[in-house]
Amino acid sequence: MIRNYIKIAFRSLKKQPFFTLINTLGLAIGMAGGLLIALYIYEELNHDNMFADADRIYRIETDIKFGGAEIKSAEAAPPMAGTLQTDFAEVENTVRFRTLGSNLLRSSDKTANIKELSTTYVDSTFFNMFGLELINGNTETALKETNTLVMTRTAAENHFGSVDVVGKSLLLNNKETYMVTGVMEDLPKNSFLGDYSIFMAMAGNVASRENIWGGNNYYTFVKLAPETRMDNFQLQLDGLLEKYVLPWAKKTFPGMTADSFAASGNYIKFHTIPLTDIHLYSDNQNEMGETGTIQNVYILSFIGFFLIFLACVNFMNLSTAHSLKRSKEVGIRKTLGSNRLQLIVQFLTESGLVAFASMIIAIVIAFIALPFFNDLAGRNISIPFTEPLFYVAILLITILLGLFSGSYPAFVISRFIPVDTLKGNGMKNSSKWNIRSMLVVFQFGVAVFLIVGTLVVFQQLEFIQNKDLGFDKEQVLVINDTYAAGKQLNVFKQDVLNLSAVKSATLSSFMPTPSSRSNSSYFRESAMDQEYAIQMQTWEVDDDYLNTLSLELIAGRDFNSQSAADSTAVIINESTLATLGLSAEEALGIRITEEVERENPEFYHVIGVIKDFHYESLRENIGSLGLFMKRSTGSMAIKLKTDDFASVIASIESIWIKRVPGQPFNYRFMDDAFETSYKEERRLGSIFIVFTSLSIFIACLGLFGLAAFNAQNRIKEIGVRKVLGASVSQITYGLTTDFLKLVAIATIIALPFGWYFMNIWLEDFSYRIQIGWEIMSFSAILVISIAIITVSYQSIKAALANPIKSLRTE
Amino acid sequence: MIKITNLEKYYKTEEVQTIALNKLSFEVKQGEFAAIMGPSGCGKSTLLNILGLLDDPDGGSYLFNGIEVAGYNERKRAQLRKHNIGFVFQSFNLIDELSVFENVELPLIYTGVKPAERKERVHAVLEKMQIMHRRKHFPQQLSGGQQQRVAVARAVVNNPKLILADEPTGNLDSSNGNEVMDLLTELNEAGTTIIMVTHSEHDAKFSHRIIRMLDGQKVTENVLV
Repeated sequence: MIRNYIKIAFRSLKKQPFFTLINTLGLAIGMAGGLLIALYIYEELNHDNMFADADRIYRIETDIKFGGAEIKSAEAAPPMAGTLQTDFAEVENTVRFRTLGSNLLRSSDKTANIKELSTTYVDSTFFNMFGLELINGNTETALKETNTLVMTRTAAENHFGSVDVVGKSLLLNNKETYMVTGVMEDLPKNSFLGDYSIFMAMAGNVASRENIWGGNNYYTFVKLAPETRMDNFQLQLDGLLEKYVLPWAKKTFPGMTADSFAASGNYIKFHTIPLTDIHLYSDNQNEMGETGTIQNVYILSFIGFFLIFLACVNFMNLSTAHSLKRSKEVGIRKTLGSNRLQLIVQFLTESGLVAFASMIIAIVIAFIALPFFNDLAGRNISIPFTEPLFYVAILLITILLGLFSGSYPAFVISRFIPVDTLKGNGMKNSSKWNIRSMLVVFQFGVAVFLIVGTLVVFQQLEFIQNKDLGFDKEQVLVINDTYAAGKQLNVFKQDVLNLSAVKSATLSSFMPTPSSRSNSSYFRESAMDQEYAIQMQTWEVDDDYLNTLSLELIAGRDFNSQSAADSTAVIINESTLATLGLSAEEALGIRITEEVERENPEFYHVIGVIKDFHYESLRENIGSLGLFMKRSTGSMAIKLKTDDFASVIASIESIWIKRVPGQPFNYRFMDDAFETSYKEERRLGSIFIVFTSLSIFIACLGLFGLAAFNAQNRIKEIGVRKVLGASVSQITYGLTTDFLKLVAIATIIALPFGWYFMNIWLEDFSYRIQIGWEIMSFSAILVISIAIITVSYQSIKAALANPIKSLRTE
Repeated sequence: MIKITNLEKYYKTEEVQTIALNKLSFEVKQGEFAAIMGPSGCGKSTLLNILGLLDDPDGGSYLFNGIEVAGYNERKRAQLRKHNIGFVFQSFNLIDELSVFENVELPLIYTGVKPAERKERVHAVLEKMQIMHRRKHFPQQLSGGQQQRVAVARAVVNNPKLILADEPTGNLDSSNGNEVMDLLTELNEAGTTIIMVTHSEHDAKFSHRIIRMLDGQKVTENVLV
C-alpha cells in the first residue's frame, strides 16, 4: 500500500514539474535559512556551558553610582575574591582575571615581536575552576610564580613552532621575561575566553594583592556549592558594603557613614550573573570578550521561525492550487471506493516526499551558504554532521514539516464531493476571507515588518556614520602600540611630521573611539566632599591632540608644551561643565584634584573647555572628560593631507622599520575603528537584508501560486466576463486588485508593528533617528510593487486565455 | 446580417486533425430566427463560437453586417462583440459571486454605460423578464428557469442586434423551457436576429428556418415560415 502511495506521489509530482520545483525550492530555501538560524541560536544559547560545573559558576558584578556617573561594571575590586573565599561558606573556588588587552611578545631568541590580541593575568585557580587541562605542564603549579605564563596551542605554535615549550621564555613588550609553564588547547570560540591566548600568573600583578575596594578591575568568578540559595548569597553580598567597603572608604572620606553615603544618592551594589548568561544577558560597559544579545537571538528566532512557516504556507497554497487540477482524480478515486483517510494519506505522502527532497536540498544550500552566514553573523558555526542527534532532529523536523504543510491541502482535497468534481466544479468558491487569504496577509505582514526593520537598521547606521561627532575622523591614521618604539618614539614622530603628506601628529593612548576606559573621581578645590565628586575620564594627551583631531575649543586655550605650568593644566569638555554647574568662562582657572585624602593634594587648573565630542558609541551619552598633558605612548594619530594613502603609509612604515626594527607596524584608519564599534548593528543589518529578501522571495512564490490558483478557480467567471465584453486590462485589473487588497491589509497591519518594535530597538541608542513616514511609505510601496509584479503574470495569462475553452460545455 | 462562405475550422491534437467546420456556407438575414440542429460533434458549437466572434475560423469568409471579420484580432472582435452580440448558454454561465442585478449589469459596465442609466436599463429588462423581485438574489438561489431568464436578460440588456443561443433550454424542464422560448420569440418579434443551436425539435419549431448539420457541413435547410 505505502509503495503504491509513494509511486503515485512520485508520478503526480512529476506530472507537474513546475509546481513541484517551486514547492520544493521554496521549502528548501526556507528550511536552509531556518537550519542556519537554528545552528546559530543553538550556539548562542550554549555559550560557555562547555566548562565543568558551568551551572555553578557566577561572576561578581558591581553597580556604582558615584560622582554623577553610573557604572555597571563586570568587574570587582581586588580583595573581592579573597573575601568571598574566606567569608562565604558556599564558595568553593574563585578566580580573577585582570585583562591586559594586546601585548607584544617574542621568544628570547627572536628579534621580531608577535602581537597577542588578548592577554590577561589570572589566578592559579584558573584550571581547577573551569576544569581545564594542559597539554604540557602541571595545572597545580603552572601559574603560581610571578613571571610565568600559560599559552594556547596556537600561540605556542606561533612563537615557537611547537607545543613542547614548557620552560622556554618569552619577552613581554621588550621588557619583562616570562617563563612558559604550560600549554593548553585553544579555548572554545563560543566561550568568554575564546579570544584569549596568553594567561599570566596573577602573582606578578602587585595591585591584585592590595586591599582597595574602590577600583574595579578584576573579573571575579566564584564557584558555589551545589544547591546554593542565590537569594541568601545575594544577602551576604549586600553585607559586604558595610563590612568592608565603607570602612575602607572612611580612610578617604573620614566623615562618611552608611547613612550619609546612601543619603547622597550614591550606591555600590554587588550582584551575580551566571557564567552561562554572560554572553547574552550581560549589559556591562566592559566585557572580557565580544558578547551577543538576547534581543538578537529573539530577532533571529523570529525570522527563522517565520521563514520556515512562510515556506510551509507556500507549500499549502501551491498544493491547494495544484489540487484543483486533481479534483477529477479525487472524484474518480472516491467513486471507486477510496475513503477519505486513504486520500489524506496519499496527499501527505506527496508532501512528505517534497519535504524530504527539500530537506536534502536545504542541507546542501546551508552547507554552501555557511561560510557566508558565518561571515554575516560573525560566528564560527559548523553543521554537526558527525552528531547522530543532528540526523534524528533533521528527520523529525522533515516529517513534522511534511505533515504540517501537507495537512491543509490533504484536508481540503479529500473533502471534494465526487459528483461535483466530476462535473468540474471541484471547488465551490468559499467566502472571500478564507484560510488562504489569511495566510497571504500573514506572509506579507511578516515581509513588510522585515522590510521596515531592515530600513530602520540601515538608516540608523547611516545616521551614525554621518553624524557630526565633534571631531574629524577622516584621514586620520592611527599607529598602534607605539610604546614599542621606546626612546625612538620622538624621533619617529619628528620623521613622520617631516613628510609632506602629514599635517600633524599626536601621541596618546586615548583615541576617540570606543574602548574600555575607566572614570576617576575628581573634586573641586572648593567642594572636597565625596558627594560633590565628579566622575571624569582622564585622558593623557600631548599638545598636538586638539589640533590633529580638530577638536573645537569654546573657551580658554590649548596646551603649550613649552609652559611648565601646563603640566598641571586640564582641558575639560562641555559635559564636565554641566556636572560642575558652571559656564565655560567661569570654569576657566578653577582647580580640581583626585587626591582628596592627601594632605597636600596635587591640583590641576582648567585652561580650556572643548565642545563635546562622541568618544564612545552613539549608544552612550557623552560623559565628562578631562584632557591632561602627559606622556602617553600607546598610539599615535596622524592627520594626513593627501588622498594617496598607500604611499604615505608606505613612507611611514619605512620610517618605523628604520627607527624601530623588529617591532610590528600596526595601523588603522580612525574611521575604520569607528565602524568596528557598530559591528553588531552592521551584522544585524546584513542578516536582516538577507533574510528579509528570502522571506519576500518565499512570500512571492506563495502569492504566485495563489494567483495561479485564483485564475484557475475563476476561469469560468473570466470567460463569461470576456464574452460580455471585458477587456484584457479590465480582467487583469480585477484579478490583481483582489490580491493587492490582501497585501494592502497586510501592510496596514504590519506597519504599526514594525514601527513599534523598531522603536524599541532604537531605544538602545542615545542618538537615534525618528522612524518617519518615508520608511513606512517606502516599505508599503516596495512590497505592493513586488506583489503587483508577482501577480500580474498569472492575471495577464488568465485574461488572455480564450474564453471558449473555459466555457465549453461539450 | 450574417453571411458565411466556405467557413473552415480544424482542431489539432498531437497526431490527429479533426475538421469541425468543412466549407460551411449560409446566410442569416436581419430579423431572422434561425435554428441550427445536428448530432453532437457536428460542429454546431464551434460555429456558434465563430459567429459570436469568440473564435477565429481557419478559412473562409465571415461577413458581419457586410464587414469581413474573419481576420479580426481579439481586441477588434471584443469591441464588435460587446456592442452587437448577446449570448445565452445552456449552462447559463452566470457569475456565482454576483447578484442577479449585478450579472445583468455587467455588459453595460463593459460598454461604459453610466451608473444611473445602467440601473434604469437593468431594472427595465428585469421587469420585462419578470424577475425584478429576484434582483438581489444570487444565482444559486434561483431555479434553472429563473437563471436562464437572468441569462437572457443579461444577453439583451445591451440591445444587441444578434443573440446567439447555445441550447438555451438544454438544462431546463419543459415548462421553464417554453418560457425561455417565448422570451426569445418576443425578442425576435421586436427585431433582434436570433441564431439558436438546439437538439430539440420542439424548440426548433419556434424559429423561421432550421439549418441541419453533419460532420461540419450543412445537410439541409428547412424554411418554416
